[in-house]
Amino acid sequence: MGTEFIKTICPYCGTGCGLIIKVKDGVAVATYPDREHPVSRGSLCIKGWSAHEFIHHPDRLTSPLLRKGDTFQKIPWDEAIPMAADKLRETAAKYGGDAVGGLSSAKCTNEENYLFQKLMRMVFKTNNVDHCARLCHAPTTVAMAQTLGSGAMTNSISDLAGAECIFVIGSNAAESHPIIMGEIYKAIDRGATLIVVDLRKTAVVQNAKIHLPINPGTDIPLLCGMMRHIIDEGLYDEEFVKARMEGFEELNEFISAWTVEKASGECGIDPGLIKLVAETYAKAKESAIVYCMGITQHACGTANVLAICDLAMLCGHVGKEYSGIYPLRGQNNVQGACDMGALPNVYPGYQSVSDPAIRDKFQKAWGGELSDKPGLTVTEIIGSAGKDIRAAYIMAENPALSDPDTSHVLESLKALDFLIVHDIFLTETARFANLVLPGSCFAEKSGTFTNTERRFQLLRKAVDPPGNAKEDFAILCLLGSALGLDFSYSHPGEVMEEIASLVPAYGGIRFERLERGGLQWPCPDSDHPGTQYLHKDRFTRGRGLFVTPEYTPPKELPDADYPYYLSTGRMFAHYHTGTMTRRSPFLNREAEEAYAEINPEDAIHLNVKDGEKIKITTRRGSIITTARITKRVSRGCIFAPFHFAEARANMLTNPVLDPLSRIPEFKVCAADVRKESQDDER
Amino acid sequence: MVVAVWSGKLIMLEKTKNIAKQILEEKKANGVLGLMKNQRDIVQPHVFKRLPELDALVLEPKWLLAKLSMSILRSSPEGYRLAVLCRGCDERALIELTKRNQIEKENLLTIGIACSQEQAAICLCDRPYPAKVDAGEIASGVDPFQDERVREFLIGNDKKRMEKWANVLKRCIKCYGCRNSCPICVCEPCKLEDDVWVQRGDVPAEMATFHLIRAFHLSDTCVACGACQEACPVNIPLLYLQLSMRKTLKEKYGYEAGLDPEKKSPILSDFLKEPETGREYPEWINSLREKDGH
Repeated sequence: MGTEFIKTICPYCGTGCGLIIKVKDGVAVATYPDREHPVSRGSLCIKGWSAHEFIHHPDRLTSPLLRKGDTFQKIPWDEAIPMAADKLRETAAKYGGDAVGGLSSAKCTNEENYLFQKLMRMVFKTNNVDHCARLCHAPTTVAMAQTLGSGAMTNSISDLAGAECIFVIGSNAAESHPIIMGEIYKAIDRGATLIVVDLRKTAVVQNAKIHLPINPGTDIPLLCGMMRHIIDEGLYDEEFVKARMEGFEELNEFISAWTVEKASGECGIDPGLIKLVAETYAKAKESAIVYCMGITQHACGTANVLAICDLAMLCGHVGKEYSGIYPLRGQNNVQGACDMGALPNVYPGYQSVSDPAIRDKFQKAWGGELSDKPGLTVTEIIGSAGKDIRAAYIMAENPALSDPDTSHVLESLKALDFLIVHDIFLTETARFANLVLPGSCFAEKSGTFTNTERRFQLLRKAVDPPGNAKEDFAILCLLGSALGLDFSYSHPGEVMEEIASLVPAYGGIRFERLERGGLQWPCPDSDHPGTQYLHKDRFTRGRGLFVTPEYTPPKELPDADYPYYLSTGRMFAHYHTGTMTRRSPFLNREAEEAYAEINPEDAIHLNVKDGEKIKITTRRGSIITTARITKRVSRGCIFAPFHFAEARANMLTNPVLDPLSRIPEFKVCAADVRKESQDDER
Repeated sequence: MVVAVWSGKLIMLEKTKNIAKQILEEKKANGVLGLMKNQRDIVQPHVFKRLPELDALVLEPKWLLAKLSMSILRSSPEGYRLAVLCRGCDERALIELTKRNQIEKENLLTIGIACSQEQAAICLCDRPYPAKVDAGEIASGVDPFQDERVREFLIGNDKKRMEKWANVLKRCIKCYGCRNSCPICVCEPCKLEDDVWVQRGDVPAEMATFHLIRAFHLSDTCVACGACQEACPVNIPLLYLQLSMRKTLKEKYGYEAGLDPEKKSPILSDFLKEPETGREYPEWINSLREKDGH
C-alpha cells in the first residue's frame, strides 16, 4: 500500500487547524501541518503535531461490549444494535419519550450530530438532547443571540492580526488556542496593544502591554466601569449607536450607577488603569474582544457575555473587519454541534422547537410528529437520571470527568435503568454503561467540522476504525433504522444536503465546495462565497440590542473554613478529560500526573514543597494531588487542571448554575488546602 | 511579461515531469516524492509511483520535502529507492543527512529545481538553487544581512537586541514544530526532551536551554531552509538564530552546510590545529587559546 498523505482537520480545539496525516500501510504514523490551510497556514501546536498518537492505541474499543455484572462481554453488532433499540424503545413505552436523554458530541461531525438529534426527536418525540457546549459557551449562544442575533464569533481568526487593540478577558489562548494566539502576536508585531484580564499570570499575560488581575468573578464591574468612563468622556460611537442600536437609554441609566471608583472597589483594579484601558479600547480604530471560559463558566456567565457585547457595540467595534467579538470555542466541532441542533430548545440552525411554523417545517421534512416542549440540558439530564430520565444514550462525551460535582454525577449514572455509551475508549463514563458501542476517531471517518470562526471544513478518512469498531455515521444509521427511521444515507454528503435544505444559512454548503479551505456560514446559496464577518450593515436580529448586565458575585467565596479560591482549566499539552492526550506519549510526558498550582507564599504557609502531595477540599469533596509551586497564581488562589481522572478537579467544583444558560460555575469555588502527610496515607 | 513568466513556469514543470517520467520508466527509483494537485485543487506531498499520476505533479508552493524523504526511506524495505524533487535548501539538507549517515546515498535520487527570484526574496536565501539544477532559471542570491528585520535582531546594540529576542522567545508555546519540521533535527534521544535542559509541563520553553541548545546543535548543519520559522505558530524568527554562525563559517572557514558532500564541518575537525586553512580565527577564540596554553 505504501505511503499516503491525507489532508484533514485537527481533532482538538475549535481553531480547526489543517493536518496532513502520513499513512504507511494503513497505519497513521505521523502528522504534519498543512501549508495551504486558511487558518493554520503550516503551523500546529503540540497537540496537533501529536494527533496521530492515540489513533492506534491498544486501549481502543474494538467490539460492542455488554455489561455482565461487574465485567463487560464482547458481543457482535447484530446483537448490540437491536438491544440498544429495544432498551430505548422499552423505556419510552413504559415512561414516555421524555424519559430518554441523549448527549450528542462536540467531537463528532456535523452530520453525526444532525442524525443524533433527529433520531432523539423523531423516535422518542423528546427534545432531551444536549452536549458539552452547555459546559463551555452556552452563555455565549444565549447572550449573543439576544444582543446581536447570532451566537457565534463575529469575525474571522485572521482578522485578529489586523486589530489595533486586542482585549483578552478570561482566555489563556497561548495554551488553549495557540494558533489563534499567533494571530494576536502578528497584530502586536504591527504595533497593536494587548490588554489581558486574568487572575493568573498566564503566557498571554506575559506578552501583554497591560494586565488586569481582577478579583475572581468581577468581570461585570470592570466592564461596566469601562463603559461608564467611555460614556462620560464621550468616547463611544454615537453615530453607530444611533443608526444601528436600541436600548441605549436603558444601558446608560444602568451604567450610571457603575462609577469607575465603584468598579475599582469591586474588581480591585486601580481607577486610573480602568480609565486607561477603556480609552485604549474605545479610541482604537479597530478593537477586538477575545474571551473564553473565564467569562462563561460563572453563575453570571450570560450577564458577563452581555457586558462584553454591550462594550463592543457601544464603541462600534462590531460589524467591520479586524474588530468584533471572539468567543473561542473549545472543541473541534462544538460550533457545529450547536449549529446542528444538538441543543434542547432548537432544531438545526437555531430554529426554535416552540415556534409552530418551524416545527411544522421539520415535521413535514422528517415525516413525523415532533415535541414542542424544550428538553433538558446536560446537567439536568444527568441530574434527573434515575428519576425523570430512565435511559440515556451518550455519544463521545465524558460527564464522569467533565461535569461539576463528580460524586453526584457518578451516582446519577449508576441510577439509570439503561445507559448506552458510544465512544472510542472505555472512558470513565463508559465504565458505567450497560452497552458500549465502539466508534471511530477523527482520522477514521469523513464528514464536516465547523470551527470557531463558523468555517465548515472537510474531514477526510485516513485509516479504518480498529477491529469491529464502526464509523459513527454508520452506527447512527444502523440504530436509526433499527428504531424505524429511514436512515438509508449512503454517505455523510447526503446528510449535508438535507441539512442545507432545512437551514437557510447553510443552504450553499455542499461537500464538493468544501475541498479547498472550507466555507464560513452564513452561506445561503451555491454561489455564495461564505461570510468573513457578521453584522456588516445590519445585525442578524435587525438592530443591535443593549441588554443590561446584572452583577451577581460568585456564589461561593473563600471563608474561614475554606479560605482558598479554586479555579479549574486546561494546560497546554492535555485536552479536556485526557481520553486522547493522556494516551499520546509525547503529550503525556509533559504532564504525567495530576497537579495543582499554588503560590510560593501559600506553599511556605502550608509547609509544602514543590512536588509534594496536597489535599484540596471543598463542600463537594476532596482530591489528593501534587503541588506545583508557581507565581503564576496569586496568593490565596489554587488552579487545578481538570484532565486527570485520578484527581478529578470536578470533584470539587460547584454545580450552581447560571439561571439563563444553565452553565455551572466551574471557575469559582472556595477550597481548603492541606499538606497531605505521609502518615495519613498509611 | 506575465506571459513570459507563465510560459517559463510551464516549461519548468514539463521538464520536471519528463525527468520524473524517465526515472519511473527506467525504474531508477520506486517512487518520486513531489507535490500533487488533485482535481479538487488540493496540493499535498505525494509519492508518485505510476506514470499517469504525473499529470497532477506541481512545483508550487515551496514545500520542503527533505524530512519526508528521510522518513520514507527509513521506513522502507532495503533497496527501496526514492527520487525527490529538490529546491536548493532541500538538496543541501539531503546532503547533510547523507553526510551524517541518516540516508544512504545510493537510495536517493534528486531532481533539482531552481527557485524564483520572488521566492528567494521571501526566504532571504543566499543560494536559491541546488548544485544540480534540472529545471528552472537560476535566481541570484539574497544577502539576509541586508534585510531590515534581520539587522534589528542581529546587528547593533546588544542590550536592545537581547530585549528583542527575549520578547519573541517568551511567546514560545513549546509546540516542538521547529524541531519537528527541521530536516536536520534527527538526534535520538533529542536534547529538547531531556529533563536536565527542558522542564516538562510548562510554557514558555526556557530561552537559553531550549532555543539556544537547538540553535547550537544546528550551528554547522543548518541549511537555512527556514522550515523552523515557517512552522512557528507565534512568529519567532528562528532562522535568524542561525544566520550569524552560517556567516562566520562561510567567511572564516569557507564552509557552507550541505554544499560539498565530501567536506567535513570545521567543528568536527580540530579548528585550533587546522594549519592548512590559513584563515584568521574569529576574535572570541583568543580566550580558548590562552586557556589551552597556545
